[in-house]
Amino acid sequence: MNCGDARRLFGACWDDEITLAERDWLESHFASCAACRAEYETFARAIELVGSLPRAEVRPGLAERALARARRATAAPDRLPVGTPRWIPITATAALLAIAATMTLQWMGITPAGRMTPRTGVAAVPEPVLVRSPDARTTASTVPDDRLATVRGETDAPFAGGVPDSLFDHSADVEFILDPVTLRKGRAHTVLRLNPNVQGEKAVITF
Amino acid sequence: MARVAEDDERAFSELVRRFQGRVMNLITRVLNDRECSDDLAQEVFVRVFVHRRNYRRGSKFTTWLFTIAANLAKNEIRRRVRKRNWFSLDALQEILNDSAIQLADPTEGQETALQREQLQEAVGRAIATVPEKYRVALVLRDIEGFAYEEIGQMLRIPGGTVRSRINRARGMLKRKLQPLLRREGTP
Repeated sequence: MNCGDARRLFGACWDDEITLAERDWLESHFASCAACRAEYETFARAIELVGSLPRAEVRPGLAERALARARRATAAPDRLPVGTPRWIPITATAALLAIAATMTLQWMGITPAGRMTPRTGVAAVPEPVLVRSPDARTTASTVPDDRLATVRGETDAPFAGGVPDSLFDHSADVEFILDPVTLRKGRAHTVLRLNPNVQGEKAVITF
Repeated sequence: MARVAEDDERAFSELVRRFQGRVMNLITRVLNDRECSDDLAQEVFVRVFVHRRNYRRGSKFTTWLFTIAANLAKNEIRRRVRKRNWFSLDALQEILNDSAIQLADPTEGQETALQREQLQEAVGRAIATVPEKYRVALVLRDIEGFAYEEIGQMLRIPGGTVRSRINRARGMLKRKLQPLLRREGTP
């Protein structure tokens, strides 16, 4: 045991929470170490000073003032009853769960009714139909109807009113249909090609 | 307290009179501000009355009462710290040095009332500079004389933590008061 050990026992010694053996050892240490003895005296004096501070005086009438304020506080509580807003977290949790479920179903491609939404794939591609422009109608008569990406649905009707500004009929919903492709040595080649007689621009979309 | 819980206002007044001194003293020593302490002591008893039905019969009333008082005092310290309306350590050191010099005046043979008052003020200010979590435990132990276990219940901390906080607070206080005590001890 050294001075550090002795100083660690100061608090317990003051509180009378040390064993007899520890007290004997501390007293023998104080007999031989003036610094620790002086340190303990300062420590004890500081606590004595704290404990001997005069009691704070209470202004008269505290009980009456407290009671008056307590009556007012009881009459008008400063906080809402605990049970009232319980529906808020419940509703918020339910809403969050509903949103999460909807998003998960959409991500999985399942509608709330339990059906799979039709995915656009090669098998689902409708047969292409040739859209005939007014001046290409005569020259393109030999082109097979299943070679072009076109408008789904009515084919001839859109041109009755005038010249369209593109190959596609914008009066109906436009749907991009991908031509089937074959992979050869890592490069994609479209199986079908546009007829050169068809007027329009070819766009290549690279993924 | 059982009668207070049954809305007996006379019992409440009696209870306030019995405990107002200790509550007031705790708050005054923690805050070192008598003006504010009166309001806070009043607030402690208001809360006792408002929450009288939350008091569990069989538990110790003083523990419950001083838990409320300690919490209010801590809240007030935090509010003051936020507002930075609190004196600095440097300012305290100056005050302590001044007090120590005055107390060490060799022309004074005995401790006069004025010196005693100055010493008490200096000690009060020294307590007020101890960090809040140590200060409340120190006041509860060394001024109000509560047991460590009771303090642990009031502050909702384990007994070992109470001991370590009080030891640290005592060490801080000893260091702060050391110059004062040395000069006080000088003949």
